[in-house]
Amino acid sequence: MDFTQVIQAFPSLGNGLLLTLELTVLAVIGGVIIGTALALARLSSIRVLSWLAGFYVNYFRSIPLLLVITWFYFIVPFMVGWVTGTNQPIGAFTSCLIAFMMFEAAYFCEIVRAGIQSISKGQVNAAYALGMTYPQAMRLVVLPLAFRKMTPLLLQQSIILFQDTSLVYAVGMMDFLNVARSQGDITGELHTFLLFAGLVYFVISFGASTLVKRLQKRLTV
Amino acid sequence: MIRFSNVDKWYDREHHVLKNINLKVNVGEVVVVCGPSGSGKSTLIRTINQLEPVERGEIWVDEVQVNNPRTNINRIREEVGFVFQHFNLYPHLSVLDNITLAPIKVKKLAPAVARERALELLNRVGLAHKRDAYPANLSGGQQQRVAIARGLAMQPKVMLFDEPTSALDPEMIGEVLQVMQDLAKSGMTMMVVTHEMGFAREVADRVIFLDHGEILEDTQPEWFFTRPQHERSRQFLRQVLAPMHG
Repeated sequence: MDFTQVIQAFPSLGNGLLLTLELTVLAVIGGVIIGTALALARLSSIRVLSWLAGFYVNYFRSIPLLLVITWFYFIVPFMVGWVTGTNQPIGAFTSCLIAFMMFEAAYFCEIVRAGIQSISKGQVNAAYALGMTYPQAMRLVVLPLAFRKMTPLLLQQSIILFQDTSLVYAVGMMDFLNVARSQGDITGELHTFLLFAGLVYFVISFGASTLVKRLQKRLTV
Repeated sequence: MIRFSNVDKWYDREHHVLKNINLKVNVGEVVVVCGPSGSGKSTLIRTINQLEPVERGEIWVDEVQVNNPRTNINRIREEVGFVFQHFNLYPHLSVLDNITLAPIKVKKLAPAVARERALELLNRVGLAHKRDAYPANLSGGQQQRVAIARGLAMQPKVMLFDEPTSALDPEMIGEVLQVMQDLAKSGMTMMVVTHEMGFAREVADRVIFLDHGEILEDTQPEWFFTRPQHERSRQFLRQVLAPMHG
């Protein structure tokens, strides 16, 4: 085992980690936004809307993420070209990001939905009794309360997402794991590099998870 | 101010919870609604701001029929304050923000004005020093007083109280009743669902007794307590007034 090779590869490993984190953060933001919209649609009294959202969630939860990533890699450029009317390549990052957002939205939707349903009817009635409309009650009272309760779950799901971003190797993206592996191949120190990569994933995931548990304790007080 | 004419309500099409309700509350009147649990008294006042829909009849607030589909119910609710048994303050907001939220977002009041008015109201309910506290750090009595201030911040024409002291520890009931009594003295039109017969006797202009969804008595407190007309109201009064450790 020769860790000097790993240290020498720090710049490119750093770039890979940056890409992984960027993808994670953007996918979480997009996923939560789409997921919240889906949750509101699922809880809507408009049947068609709630059925469509339900179908979306069940569909994306029933297919492998790897399939979505490779599928979107081929299909997103067509979709973007069709919408904008131009024929420009959009790059693997964008198509992967969209794939993650849409896939994770299905999971975030279920978390948000449970969060909304956990808010007592009394709180909602109090908002209505003060003359708030449905969107006002949602935006000012229900969603802020629901997100407070859901934050730990949303963060746990985000940690899973962080690990899942390694699947972008399938479309040739140089994320942290893929950089580590290729550096390992080049230097002949694959074991060392993978060991190191594992350590980094563990520290970040476990560290974040511990923070979430601490946050959870504070939020439930 | 408030008028019910021939109002009927059913739950699940078979449980008849309000039976042919006819009722009038005049401006400045304080009306106490009492009756055994399950008599429909909470449902009755919840129909006024349409937290509960009705199946038949008309309910009017001022010159507007609230159960008309063409009525914008949110405009009515701005003018009808409602105080819940379980306070239902917003736990994520401070006391001050609880009070100013609806005036700013619904009535589009300038935040500075809403704030000033909220502080005035907090003074009135004796909780100015708690303005930055969160509901979880207040006692039940304090939460209910904040909830009353929250309702008043919309400058309603009527205040409805749905068992405002039923969820409180006995030693906190007095402070809430005191705030309500002051409010009644200031000329507010009020409808109060409560088991507090002392409050009914001293503060109410009229007492309504409801049983099985029917109004059995609608009379002055004096008459209600001394000469109840129905056997069921006599029985009810014996139960709530009887010394429990006698």
